[in-house]
Amino acid sequence: MNIHMTPQRTPTETALIDAFSDRLSLLPGDGTVMLKRDDAIEAIKSGLPTRRVESWHYTDLRRLLASIPDFDPAAAPKAIAPVVEGSAVLPVLNGVSSTKLPDIEGIAVQRLSEKLEDGSAAPGLDLYGADDAIGALNTAFVVDGYFVDIADGAELDKPIELQNLQAGGQTHVRLSVRAGAGAKAVIVERQAGEGAAMVSSVSQLLLDEGAEVTWLIVQEQPDTATHLAQFKAHLGKDAKLTLFVMNAGGKLVRQEVVVRTTGEGADFTLRGINLLAGDTHTDVTMVLDHAVPHTASTEVIRNVVTGRARGVFQGRINVHQYAQKTNAKMACNTLLLSDDGEFSTKPELEIFADDVVCGHGATVTEIDHSHLFYLMARGIDEKSARGLLVKAFVAEVIEELDDEAIVEALETRLDGWFAAHG
Amino acid sequence: MPAVQDTIDRVRKIDVDQYKYGFQTEIAMDKAPKGLSEDIIRFISAKKEEPSWMLEWRLEAYRRWVTLDEPKWARVHYPKIDFQDLHYYAAPKSTPGPTSLSDVDPELLRVYEKLGIPLREQEILAGVQKTDASELEEASDNVYKSGRVAVDAVFDSVSVVTTFKKELAQAGVIFCSISEAIREHPELVKKYLGSVVPTSDNFYATLNSAVFTDGSFVFVPKGVRCPMELSTYFRMNEKNTGQFERTLIIAEEGAYVSYLEGCTAPQRDENQLHAAVVELIALDDAEIKYSTVQNWYPGDAEGKGGIYNFVTKRGDCRGHRSKISWTQVETGSAITWKYPSCILRGDDSSGEFYSIAVSNGYQQVDSGTKMIHLGKNTSSRIISKGIAAGYSQNTYRGQVSAHRKATNARNFTNCDSLLIGDQCGAHTVPYMEAKNATAQFEHEATTSKISEDQKFYVMQRGIPEEEAIALIVNGFVKDVIQQLPMEFAVEAQKLIGISLEGSVG
Repeated sequence: MNIHMTPQRTPTETALIDAFSDRLSLLPGDGTVMLKRDDAIEAIKSGLPTRRVESWHYTDLRRLLASIPDFDPAAAPKAIAPVVEGSAVLPVLNGVSSTKLPDIEGIAVQRLSEKLEDGSAAPGLDLYGADDAIGALNTAFVVDGYFVDIADGAELDKPIELQNLQAGGQTHVRLSVRAGAGAKAVIVERQAGEGAAMVSSVSQLLLDEGAEVTWLIVQEQPDTATHLAQFKAHLGKDAKLTLFVMNAGGKLVRQEVVVRTTGEGADFTLRGINLLAGDTHTDVTMVLDHAVPHTASTEVIRNVVTGRARGVFQGRINVHQYAQKTNAKMACNTLLLSDDGEFSTKPELEIFADDVVCGHGATVTEIDHSHLFYLMARGIDEKSARGLLVKAFVAEVIEELDDEAIVEALETRLDGWFAAHG
Repeated sequence: MPAVQDTIDRVRKIDVDQYKYGFQTEIAMDKAPKGLSEDIIRFISAKKEEPSWMLEWRLEAYRRWVTLDEPKWARVHYPKIDFQDLHYYAAPKSTPGPTSLSDVDPELLRVYEKLGIPLREQEILAGVQKTDASELEEASDNVYKSGRVAVDAVFDSVSVVTTFKKELAQAGVIFCSISEAIREHPELVKKYLGSVVPTSDNFYATLNSAVFTDGSFVFVPKGVRCPMELSTYFRMNEKNTGQFERTLIIAEEGAYVSYLEGCTAPQRDENQLHAAVVELIALDDAEIKYSTVQNWYPGDAEGKGGIYNFVTKRGDCRGHRSKISWTQVETGSAITWKYPSCILRGDDSSGEFYSIAVSNGYQQVDSGTKMIHLGKNTSSRIISKGIAAGYSQNTYRGQVSAHRKATNARNFTNCDSLLIGDQCGAHTVPYMEAKNATAQFEHEATTSKISEDQKFYVMQRGIPEEEAIALIVNGFVKDVIQQLPMEFAVEAQKLIGISLEGSVG
């Protein structure tokens, strides 16, 4: 423990550093953007995080990211139908956004490459901490994505689906949304593709006063893909964000959720389901800052672990000294269904204010035998009974979303996963 | 409710006025020169008249230690410790291995009397052979009225006296200082020392392995239920010394022992280092109950001085159906870095951890436990209560893990924190790692302040605010206090009262 070490670059680190100099001419950006890219590559030069870095304790990126694919300009992912029928689709194919931007009332869409060129995307490229490896990777290499501006007071009747699709190779995408004061919207972030791609995807959401957004992350990468994603949100006064994360694929997955309440009365809800099968290593890490008084948050994460899958949930709630009257609750429940599966969880509370109510709970168990007995006593065979119980365990979280079309769409995805892995 | 100015002022006053063990004693001391080197280790080993294998063991640890860096992951902040600016050995001059209290410096005895430590079985030790049980009762009728307690008193680097040795020996129990054990029972020490906390374990444990000066050794043979509570009392007196004690407790098949340690230190402006290692070994069907009332000097109102407490405590449930239980009441130290752990190796073994950590002033506590489930049908239970007041930071950090073969591992963890005042912080960092599908882990944690309703309910019955808070806090920590041996539960309850007095928020 703590023995002095001389760091030696891994092939991945070397490949990234080389790729940066090779691709420099292809990276859009004005002076400020390019300076941020330089800082980001410097961060990568100092090494990818290992398990000694506390926030990467269970995901040793340096070791797990043993190799990375090259950029593949010829990769052509297939278009897919949106999760919720009738959504406005904004696709990013192989890291490049579409030139055909939709014309929807109440929203203005821009290609992110343009915002990088004119430098207006620069402030969003900052890293959020010393161990922000995903941010660094993305800032260094991001080429494109979208910026969606939802006008003040706009209430969108259809979801917007931001699709990030790959077909192998390496892509770095950024999806940025601002919801104006009092705006209401449902946004689906779709992460999918084929082949052994390596993806970094950073989503940013800014909620102005009173804005209400439901954001769904549906991650269904093939089991050969590496998916490194980050979702960052700032919640203004009385803003309300419901974030739903579903991880159902990928070989190495890290989904970071970084949320900060910056206005009084802000309310954050996180619901997550991780369906882990095969050899996947899936890590959901959340950092939530309650920075002002009178804000609330609840987080419920449900995990199903099968095969040789390894799952991680780390959740840290920081209640700053000034953030009195904070109400924060976090729960992480795991069903460990196979002998070779693993799940590690670290739900942290860091509290500096005295007038708060904060709690967290975490459980790891197998299926309750008495529940199984109850169903089997009614003539249901063991396999179906297990299937029912597992599905009920995760479906409970989905059903909390009060939009019927969304619930239905997500349950379809859930059924799809159970059909493939049940 | 934000803290009123009054609260802040009151809290500020607390520590200086209330640390009643802060006195210092002038005793002729024998000290090693400052600094740490192989020569110093040879000096310590020679002073202790140790066999050569022991010296080799120490040197090996030292050679490893110089390659290590201090761990940085805990939520504690302190200026870098200069490990060369410490005395690694300090002993009262008058004790070349005293055999009875009459050989002990009377000044030293007065220290323990002042601390309320029952060394008054003097007559027995002084050779007035009172073996009659009723007389024994009478002789020990000091502070702890309800039961007899054998005490090993450690003053700075050495054990000055161990009481009730003879009676314990009759039961087959060995209770002596570790230095004595190295000389008298080398085969036992050789077999078990470092088998739970290896010399390579961590920075402070490695340092301890190199320089430990004394501590207690307990061996309870097969089938013996130790006839009385055993206890060690640590006192740090000398300036600029580090205290590095090593405790080794072995309970053979079916044995039972309950052990308590207490600690205090004088009030000084400089920080003092305390890096202990405690190893517990429970064989088949054995049970060890280890309780700590830690009351090192916490520093003054400005956070100046106080003990840096970096302790490695670990119990190994080596045998089937064995049980190890840790109970701790932490009120002192400027910095506490301590994670009493259980390795549940034997099938059906169980581990328990009950903790109350009270921090005030500028204290920083980062404490918790590790429950490592290796055997089948193992169970563990963690109850941790943290109370933060003043400007203190109180962190619970605990790990529960079930390994692949740990079928039916069970854990229940409950950690609650209470905040008094708005300048302090309470943190919970649990790590849960399940690698077996039959594991069942539950963790729950809450943080809150004393609710106005609770306080109102008590106060409207005519109880003043401070007492009301003390009452509520005592209710809050009851689960843990109940686990302490009776005599110490009273003491612990008083300690909590002291630490919180004036912290009305």
